[in-house]
Amino acid sequence: MAKISNQDIAKSIYRTLKDKTGSAYSLALKNIVNFLARRRLFSQAPDILKKLEKIIDEENNAIRVKISSVKPLGTHLKHDLIKALERRYQAKEIIFTENIDEKLISGLKFEVGDEIVDLSIKNKIKKLAEHLQ
Amino acid sequence: MASHIVENLKREIENFKADIKAEKVGKVVEVFDGIAKVSGLSEVKSQEMLKFEGGEAGVAFNLEEDTVGVIVLDDFSKINEGDTVTATGKILEVPVGSTLLGRAVNALGVAIDGASPIKTDMAYPIEKIAPGVITRLSVSEPVATGIKVIDATIPIGRGQRELIIGDRQTGKTAIAVDTILNQKGQDMICVYVSISQKDSKLRKIQARLEAGGAMEYTVIVSAGASEPAPLSYLVPYTGVAIAEYFMDQGKDVLIIYDDLSKHAIAYREISLLLRRPPGREAYPGDVFYLHSRLLERACRRSKDYGGGSITALPIIETQAGDISAYIPTNVISITDGQIFLETDLFYKGIRPAVNVGLSVSRVGGAAQIKAMKKVAGTLKLDLAQYRELEAFTQFGSDLDDATKKQLERGKRAVEVLKQTQYSPVSLENQVVVLYALTQGYMDDVAIEKIKEFEEKFAEYADRNAKKFLTQIRENKMWEESGEAELKKAIQDFKTSWPAQKK
Repeated sequence: MAKISNQDIAKSIYRTLKDKTGSAYSLALKNIVNFLARRRLFSQAPDILKKLEKIIDEENNAIRVKISSVKPLGTHLKHDLIKALERRYQAKEIIFTENIDEKLISGLKFEVGDEIVDLSIKNKIKKLAEHLQ
Repeated sequence: MASHIVENLKREIENFKADIKAEKVGKVVEVFDGIAKVSGLSEVKSQEMLKFEGGEAGVAFNLEEDTVGVIVLDDFSKINEGDTVTATGKILEVPVGSTLLGRAVNALGVAIDGASPIKTDMAYPIEKIAPGVITRLSVSEPVATGIKVIDATIPIGRGQRELIIGDRQTGKTAIAVDTILNQKGQDMICVYVSISQKDSKLRKIQARLEAGGAMEYTVIVSAGASEPAPLSYLVPYTGVAIAEYFMDQGKDVLIIYDDLSKHAIAYREISLLLRRPPGREAYPGDVFYLHSRLLERACRRSKDYGGGSITALPIIETQAGDISAYIPTNVISITDGQIFLETDLFYKGIRPAVNVGLSVSRVGGAAQIKAMKKVAGTLKLDLAQYRELEAFTQFGSDLDDATKKQLERGKRAVEVLKQTQYSPVSLENQVVVLYALTQGYMDDVAIEKIKEFEEKFAEYADRNAKKFLTQIRENKMWEESGEAELKKAIQDFKTSWPAQKK
């Protein structure tokens, strides 16, 4: 039999819990913990959780964005950014993580999944250095 | 001068437009032994070139569910966990051009000979599908190796793949180097691919080629023993990409892979580190394809498709003469024949230590010139009979005259086929000597005098059998007039040769 991947486990957990509420939900949760214990999969729990988070995001059409900037963003700018990102990724919900990074010198950097849009001065200088070489 | 530079730089900076777009990047999850596992990079292609944060290059090798297995082509110790990796969108390619001639480069096409950086206008992908059936021609032009035993009994044609196989220290590289040296003036470009060889050995070969004036038409591509396994894995493909460039210019190319056993070992290392399942002798399942796709790129192309050819001489090192091990059998079945070298023969003083019985050339016969075919036909027979009879003589029984004669002829044939290193013989001279042998003119020369006889006679024939030599050079076959002249020259020489007189 093929090895069960963490992705498969995360998918099954999501399906099991999807439409359940109340006592049925608690029972399902208990069963999941039992299953992980029986299969000795607790060491894999962080990875499974990460995958589960991804599956839930996909289902809810939400995206996680990490924004790095030199200074904290103003509310006005944040609002505009959310609008722009919703349009670009056609997402219903944008989950924001802000990160202060002074090494960027100036400008912004977005990270959405494995996609990066780097509008920082640091990146522009790096590109210029490559161009001049 | 300084203001000029500043002005230029200013203009460059002013005109520079940073082209910033969304990039797919990955993050290094782990890095070990020249391998990096990278998460992200969702749109990466197999064999795509990647750049690490510190500028190191890598190639996407294993595309898995959430990670990409990358082989690192630079110093992997500078890569840290969490470093970003960007895809370049390009399949790995190497710079190619005629400026490579006379140079030594590494697996990525960067000069390693200490001379100036190599400037080229073009780059070729290192992985390419071999030319199809329609574009190919059958082998019909010879590659003159200058080694008598090969040119006579195991002829190689342009576009052929002939394996050189044998234990360590049996003269495999010597045959390859001699063949390169003999290509002077034969309109052939040579590529010598050195895979995991000692740098001292490579330096020696390079010095030898320089001394013989062979570097003018030769490119050395090398991944040394101290370099990481990924480079040893890539270097034959780099070599053949360079060879393909010259073939695309309509040239005939000779490529030597020294050696493919080490290539298989490097690939085994990468595969095991990437956790691909091991098979026989722990080699991965696709080790046959590793060599077949490489050697399939050797070909002779028809004029309509640009002409040119790539002749490949792969080398395989066996352990204790075992040609039935995994890699030797694979490569034997891929190539169009093999030159089998034996330790026993080597120590008996038969050098090149070619075992004529086990060596074959499956397509080279068609490429042999008519004159050589004529003399070599009887030579092969002489040698085969000699080998058979030699076993009998061990019993020490009385032999009849005919058998004795055959034995004597065989001994002389073996003697004539001996040749020292770095002394290639031209095709015409080979025909002259073998003619004298197979026609029985050497039967009355003492065995220990054969080498001397051969040498002196070749010189004599150069002066006194000009017609014969010209006929072979021009028409690839002698005519009656030439043959009569040669016969007379042999007889005259024999009467005048002092060693013969006594």
